[in-house]
Amino acid sequence: MTIRRVLILAPTVLILFLIQSYLWVPTYEEQTRGNPDRLNEYITASIGDASILNPILSADSASSDIQSLVFEGLIDRDEELRFRGRLATSWEIYEEAFFYVNEGASIPGVGKAEGEDVVALLWRAKTGDLPTNPELKASLGNIREISVGPARNFLVTRYEKKNEEDKETEEVRVRVSAPARIKLVLDAVDQDLFQNLSHILGKDYFSSFNGQGYLAVDDERWQEKRAKYAEEILPATEHNPIVVFHLRPGVKFHDGPVFDAHDVKFTFEAIMNPKNLSPRIADYEPVKRVEVVDPLTVSIVYKRLYSPALGTWAMGILPEHLLNDEALKKEAIRLGKNPEKFSMRQSRFNRHPIGCGPFVFREWKSDQYIILDRFYDYWEGPPNYKRYVYRIVPDLLTQEMEFYAGTIDSYNVQPHQVERLRDDPRYQNFSGPSFGYTYIGYNMRRELFNDPRVRRALSMAIDVDKIIDYVLYSQGERITGPFVKQTDYYNHSVKHVPYDPPAALRVLEEAGWRRNKEGWLEKDGKRFQFTLITNSGNDLRKAVLAIAQDAWKQIGIDVRTDLLEWSVFIQERVDKADFDALILGWVMGIEPDLYQIWHSSQTHPHQLNFVAFNNSEADDLIIKIRQEYDHERQVAYCHRLHEIIAHEQPYTFLYVAKWTAILDKRIVIKETDRQGKIMYKKIKPTKTGNFAFYFNKWIKLPEAPGFAAEG
Amino acid sequence: MRRRSGFQEFWRLLKQNRLAVTGLAIFGLFFCIALLGLVLTTGRNPAFDPAMVRLQEKLRPPLSRPNLETLRPEEVPRLGVYLFGTDDLGRDVFARMLQGAWVSLTVGFVAVGISVIIGIFMGGISGYFGQNHPSMDTLIMRFVDIMLCFPSFFLILTVVALLPASMYNIMIVIGLTSWMGTTRFVRAEFLSLREQDFVTAARALGVNHWRIIFRHMIPNAMAPVLVSATIGIATAILTEAGLSFLGFGVPPPHATWGSILSDGKRFIFDAPWLTFVPGFAILIVVLSFNLFGEGLRDILNPKLRERY
Amino acid sequence: MLSFIGRSIIQKTITLFFVSIVSFLIIHLAPGKPSQVDPLNPKFTPEIVERFRKEFHLDKPIYVQYVYFYRDLFTGKTVSWKDNQSVLGKIWERFLNSLPLFIVGTIITWTLSFPIGIRSAIFRGGLYDRSATFFSYLLISVPGFFFAYVLIIFVVTHFHVPVIGLKTFGIGDASWLRMIMDRVWHLLLPSVLGATGGIAILSRYVRSQMLEVEGQDYVRTARAKGVPEEQVHYKHALRNALLPFVTMFGLILPGLIGGSVIIESIFSWPGMGRMAYEAILARDYPIILTVNFVSAVLVLAGTFVSDLLYLVVDPRIRL
Repeated sequence: MTIRRVLILAPTVLILFLIQSYLWVPTYEEQTRGNPDRLNEYITASIGDASILNPILSADSASSDIQSLVFEGLIDRDEELRFRGRLATSWEIYEEAFFYVNEGASIPGVGKAEGEDVVALLWRAKTGDLPTNPELKASLGNIREISVGPARNFLVTRYEKKNEEDKETEEVRVRVSAPARIKLVLDAVDQDLFQNLSHILGKDYFSSFNGQGYLAVDDERWQEKRAKYAEEILPATEHNPIVVFHLRPGVKFHDGPVFDAHDVKFTFEAIMNPKNLSPRIADYEPVKRVEVVDPLTVSIVYKRLYSPALGTWAMGILPEHLLNDEALKKEAIRLGKNPEKFSMRQSRFNRHPIGCGPFVFREWKSDQYIILDRFYDYWEGPPNYKRYVYRIVPDLLTQEMEFYAGTIDSYNVQPHQVERLRDDPRYQNFSGPSFGYTYIGYNMRRELFNDPRVRRALSMAIDVDKIIDYVLYSQGERITGPFVKQTDYYNHSVKHVPYDPPAALRVLEEAGWRRNKEGWLEKDGKRFQFTLITNSGNDLRKAVLAIAQDAWKQIGIDVRTDLLEWSVFIQERVDKADFDALILGWVMGIEPDLYQIWHSSQTHPHQLNFVAFNNSEADDLIIKIRQEYDHERQVAYCHRLHEIIAHEQPYTFLYVAKWTAILDKRIVIKETDRQGKIMYKKIKPTKTGNFAFYFNKWIKLPEAPGFAAEG
Repeated sequence: MRRRSGFQEFWRLLKQNRLAVTGLAIFGLFFCIALLGLVLTTGRNPAFDPAMVRLQEKLRPPLSRPNLETLRPEEVPRLGVYLFGTDDLGRDVFARMLQGAWVSLTVGFVAVGISVIIGIFMGGISGYFGQNHPSMDTLIMRFVDIMLCFPSFFLILTVVALLPASMYNIMIVIGLTSWMGTTRFVRAEFLSLREQDFVTAARALGVNHWRIIFRHMIPNAMAPVLVSATIGIATAILTEAGLSFLGFGVPPPHATWGSILSDGKRFIFDAPWLTFVPGFAILIVVLSFNLFGEGLRDILNPKLRERY
Repeated sequence: MLSFIGRSIIQKTITLFFVSIVSFLIIHLAPGKPSQVDPLNPKFTPEIVERFRKEFHLDKPIYVQYVYFYRDLFTGKTVSWKDNQSVLGKIWERFLNSLPLFIVGTIITWTLSFPIGIRSAIFRGGLYDRSATFFSYLLISVPGFFFAYVLIIFVVTHFHVPVIGLKTFGIGDASWLRMIMDRVWHLLLPSVLGATGGIAILSRYVRSQMLEVEGQDYVRTARAKGVPEEQVHYKHALRNALLPFVTMFGLILPGLIGGSVIIESIFSWPGMGRMAYEAILARDYPIILTVNFVSAVLVLAGTFVSDLLYLVVDPRIRL
């Protein structure tokens, strides 16, 4: 019967055909043998795909992984996390400070003074003619130039909304007749300058300056805004820190043209351009202007003291010649789009980026891979790997499978996998502290948590060491405060809260909590009860959730738990501060700027101090830290701030998880010395825990080399 | 000859289908375990505490004995042995499975309950009143069409992802997205029942519409509903497992078999029992539901019956 | 016939319209906002969030958003919020990736289900039938991802070959035959996994159809006439039992876009399902809505095609 035969034959043939394909697929061993070029490729796996390969537009980690290879910033961090020049060879920081002559104020010993008189007085003080204290002396010694700018009249236009809901704005014209202004050029940034100068000029010389008196608002209706305008247009004092970068000559973009100062200025302007919707705009808001001094010198003038600003110049520099208005207009016309509406966001560049980093972009298949080739003209010499492949493998378990199958060289390895592969002779493994920490945060708006003793007791009931040992497989470190542990800002003298449930009970008893018959803690007839929440999708936090619940239950606290999807968690709970306690993590920048997370002004909805931490000394320190340009002083302020936060325990600081990595042993560092001799070295993490710091020198060898025992 | 009662007849037919009997037996066993689990794992000091964390005892294989030296007396598992091993936090997998049985069962039953109630209601109205009020019939059937246009798992996923995660939301969403089939065949059944003599007679006697529906029609239309409900429970348990895999399953403190399974998959090399115990448990239970449902279909479908 | 087509098209268009409204409402009224408006990223100031809202028209009343969205969709101007790529372009790219999976899966399902189902029907009640029943239910009772992991681990640890993704990475410049076979191999596991449920259901259905037909008078007559048993099964019975399956061709259409989120995530297969899933996570409304819309179109087109086929195939129905 033909039908019957067909019915039986068809599936058999199909199955055989499908199964025989197995014979064609290379196994792990065959991959490098069959394709020697595989040794020159580095394939890494990522859970998510990049979104947009333009350093000023992206905000996700996958995109920044790729951008860090394709683009280059002016500076970056070296092995010790200090700044190091990349596209900039060197830089210096100085300051221009300004203050308006306060015609109404009486200077001690001088009386009312004009601009020239004030300059003369300051010169006298600087040369030592006046009695000074050491701080003032330091401030004066720092002054390089003193000059006076003449009084001038000008017109400012402001735009105001008629009322809150209105979209239309109205022009408000402000006539300003500014008094003379003194300009001081300082060798180094000095945040205490004006405070010290007031010893000479009088205690309230600066504070009594009446800006409102110098401006007139034409329109009657906007008179009440005058105070605000005076503050904006005529601030009594102003600090303008200036960073001058000297750029590296002869650095080329991947498409040939040479990089220069105009590209830096362009990158800055692109970020600030509202059309581009750059998420980094806030970082650059303190910049007043960027000036091209000459093609290899660029100076950045800031509006105010903001020391973390220097770090923002690690951002990749865009090529002006591909993205300026003219180029975009051409692209829009070529694509048949309206050039008026066409912005950098629509440009093809975002999927075909060109920078001056060590790797040249080659291909991007969404949710599959991104391929980069090495850049032969890289200023530091081309990388050893010919090709870098970024594969997107969304499932962690299959990443592991692919690693065993040899089609990826590195992946997001989990601590328990490292534990298993530790003794495998085929692999080498690394780990090092990361920049993020996990914590339990208590909502101090709730009465339950506004007693520091209670928060401390809750911390004491959790055995963090055990969490690190068993949940993280020892791939973690304890942390006591909010700074990055690898930096000097972290105060190592702060002791962590000990694990001691009986003591926790005693502390709680002091605070009025006693155990009832059933064993629950009670105060005034009310049970100690709250809900601990975290976001779903993070196994470690989920584990901490279960452990904390269990640990607190042991001392008689009735804890409910809830796991929420990320955006619901953020929008419904965190933003609205509608939670009792939560488990969350912060990934910290190296800069010690804690303003957004810890300053008491940041406790409103949608702001990041959602636990409502409020401490006036901490507030002062936070401001001082972000205004201080001197490292030593900054460190001292940070140490004190760390102590305060650790004492207050707004968070139970849990741990810094270590990142972990596994590589084939055949991947090594290859260096060529001056005589052209090739040397192989074992890959080692830097002191701060970055194992991929020398990535450009890595290469995979056909056989694992033996290394001489080294220290 | 004495006529056997409906139930006896049913039982006789069921006994002939050995797979269905096995399915029913496992289903019964599962039900008992789930009830037992509810009793044994709740309260301040439950006999089996599924939330008891013993970090030092993590990832112990099944049937291993606890290390008594490191445990406080209340931490020692009730059976003196970790029957199904422990998970990555040292929680007793057996206790978790016990608790999960009840939760999984609840998810399945409530979700299907919702969908059956909606289905009977919509299908009943549409089938019974359809002829006199064609607009109502059209409205309901068009609504069914609209709902059928959504890819079901994708719809469930979207809604569950957008809503706050909770056990109730998941049950409700699964229920609300799976009533269309029931509606369709309840309607079909009603349309044919409507024309049958006993209904016509009841109507002629002026019996209240609702009384006719509840007393005469629904009981007669129950057979296919029952079959699809049995299979629906199986599907709901699997759907919940799929959602758990994607991280949108029933959130703790409730553990379902699906969430135990998807939590365990990270450790599939280090602790395969964390994957295989819940995996096979789901497999067996879902299989028993499906086989029982299939048997039920054969028995309740007189057209097929006569051929056996 | 023509009037049937006309009526059907009008009806389906109305349904589609309501589907578009319902899906739009579900997404916009549920809590959660797109990740661009994710305020826990300290880099996002309220002004930027506001600007993004404007850019995405989120500041407009919901019916205006609805009109804007579908206007953009029909003029092909919709772009993803995540990366500004054209949504239709993205869907097309993913569609091409999902297509081989779908085709191979469908072929496996249909070629395997018929022999299994027919044999079960012929030997109904026998050991073969009962074990086929058992195994087909076994297949639909396994949680998909559990089965997938067990299979992957088995293959990787025993055969040491890669199974994830569209092709082996770093295979280099192998011969074209080898490249093709490598791709076929990568198709094998995910499409088999995707087909399991289909095989189980379809073979059951084939079985019951065969049983239905075998009880019919003409089959009995054929048998009574002394036609050989085999011919009765494969010629008389099968031909008529096949009838409803022709109409099922229309109903596979939605499978084109459905894909399986879980299978595609596990195998890192850049298909439709995964794109939709990631869009849900990122609250990328344009993608979610477009996928939903396209799949609704496919469902409706599928039922339309199957109705038509039914008309053509079954001579008893004439409109």
